[in-house]
Amino acid sequence: MNALIELAQHRHLIMSFARRDIRAKYKQTFFGAAWAIIQPASLMIVFTLVFSVFNRVESEGVPYPIFAYSALIFWTCFAASVTQGTIAMTANASLVRKIWFPRETLLFAIMISALIDLLVASVVLAGMFIWYGVPLHWTAFWVVPILLLQLLFTFAVVLVTSAAHVHFRDIGHAIPLMLQLWMFASPIVYPLASVPAWLKPYYMLNPMAGIIDSYRRVLLHGEAPDFGYLTAALLVALACVWLGYLLFKKAERTFADVI
Amino acid sequence: MSNLAIRFDSVSKKYRLRHGWYLSIIDEIARLANRTAGRSSDADYFWALKDVSFEIDHGDTVGLIGSNGAGKSTALKILSRVTVPTSGSFQTNGRVGALIEVGAGFHPDLSGRENVYLNGAIMGMRKREIDAKFDQIVAFSEVEKFIDTPLKFYSSGMMVRLGFAVAAHIEPDILLVDEVLAVGDTAFQAKCLNKIAELKQQNKTIVLVSHTMPSILQHSSRVLWIDKGTVRAFGDPESTVEQYLKHVHQQGASGTAEPAAATESPIRIAGISLLDATGHVRDSLAYGEEAMVEIAYELAQPVDDPVFSVTFHDIRGVPLGGLTSRLDGLALEAGARQGTVRLVLAPVLFTRGTYGITAAIYDKPIQRYYDMRAHAVSFMVDGPSVATREVSGHFVFPHRWEVVVPERAA
Repeated sequence: MNALIELAQHRHLIMSFARRDIRAKYKQTFFGAAWAIIQPASLMIVFTLVFSVFNRVESEGVPYPIFAYSALIFWTCFAASVTQGTIAMTANASLVRKIWFPRETLLFAIMISALIDLLVASVVLAGMFIWYGVPLHWTAFWVVPILLLQLLFTFAVVLVTSAAHVHFRDIGHAIPLMLQLWMFASPIVYPLASVPAWLKPYYMLNPMAGIIDSYRRVLLHGEAPDFGYLTAALLVALACVWLGYLLFKKAERTFADVI
Repeated sequence: MSNLAIRFDSVSKKYRLRHGWYLSIIDEIARLANRTAGRSSDADYFWALKDVSFEIDHGDTVGLIGSNGAGKSTALKILSRVTVPTSGSFQTNGRVGALIEVGAGFHPDLSGRENVYLNGAIMGMRKREIDAKFDQIVAFSEVEKFIDTPLKFYSSGMMVRLGFAVAAHIEPDILLVDEVLAVGDTAFQAKCLNKIAELKQQNKTIVLVSHTMPSILQHSSRVLWIDKGTVRAFGDPESTVEQYLKHVHQQGASGTAEPAAATESPIRIAGISLLDATGHVRDSLAYGEEAMVEIAYELAQPVDDPVFSVTFHDIRGVPLGGLTSRLDGLALEAGARQGTVRLVLAPVLFTRGTYGITAAIYDKPIQRYYDMRAHAVSFMVDGPSVATREVSGHFVFPHRWEVVVPERAA
């Protein structure tokens, strides 16, 4: 609770960091914010070639590009937050060493800047809906709570990885690899339905599995999300945030000594 | 609110010594293995502060002094909450602002304006506060013309000025200042000092870390001397600084032995001593007294007109003035294998403080030196003190002040 009050007090700082991150990210680039689209779009093109042109992977009855892209933009948001969040403390080492401020503000700022990228990338998604003539349903509004759940889980992950990275720089090397494996362990390039039944209980332990599948249900198929999966994901995310926060706050006290 | 601003209650801070920049997991496992094998020792740790207790009242300006590595920065870090003590407790009443490293939060790609907002936010200012003070900050920093230019095009001086300007406008109840008095050109330094004086008048609590004793004496109402992580003295500025200088002086005196110069050097310094007019070795002098610096030398082979030089330093090793024998023309005794030259100071014009001497012997055109003894001798001078504000700097020249009476035509 105190954490939330402190957070509200520092919203200006979070927004300042976020603005800095966004401005700095696209300064002196030719394409600027278009990079927010280029990244998920190029993955979509590659996956479309591999899984729809060379091989045919079932795509829940919608064109493969929109099937892949509708998951990829959310995954990119998650992956970018985790990659940058993990190194957030060390990337701001000169600040962390010299000045006190709640360190998690850096993590929030990174999540906000990834969220802005997601907004930009979703413009293309809207275009694809029109192009492929896929109808959009009222259930699309479910995206908002699902996204909040995803952010909660993202926060849990970066709390742990960023604190760990301060002490063990191995984490920074491991995370990009982990994320790559993680992407294939989530229903992004293939539908959830193609996961064999015997594997599914273990497969669904990954909160991102339920989250990604839910985006497709509400966006592409006009269905309600699977509340069973989402509740499980929510519980996992809450537990992780709680544990991660305790860990982060304990580790934060000595960041300046070891960074 | 109680009158207590800062309280340290047996605060200790232990750092782990490490051999690289960071730990890898493998190092950590090795360390754990060592520890379970009972091989870990205190040698792996370093106490930056040990059992430090003190109290500072609201409105006090406390000068924090001590040699490098004494624990001053660690104390400031604990005060500013950047790190936590290993044991003991501390308490601060009021908003703490730190001028620890100006501009630490600057981003080169953002404009001056954006950086003011960012830096202000990092230091805990609200947006409204920054809005209200923005013009003042910019005016103080003297970078108005470039405020919308990305910071990477700023000169380092401009960056420092902008950083100090933001920090100086946080208006904390407790302000921590670390060595920033030395930023910018002289005019800007004066501005910074005025700002600190202004904050003092507003009854703010200030903790000032500096190696510059004159500014410590000028600003502090009390001085805290930390040595090797413990409090050596905490009291009135004059006597604490004097104790500290005496200590530094003794340390300096015990560390004068320098390795002999390379044997191939044709002439080398055999010894340096500071004497009074009667020829007695002295380590303290009085202002206005006559004194001598003697350099004993040894010749391995004949040298063509060597030039002797003596340079005086302040306590931080900053050269204050040097003299060479070429200025006066000095002829050595021909054929002697050794000898002594003497620089007579008539009189000593230093202000009160501790000074050091570096002696050297150069070749005739003063292009390379045969031998040099850096900081070979240190000594104290008792005389007009900058603490009185009647004089400043390191020298008081023979002088007088006069009232100019306009001559009237009769």
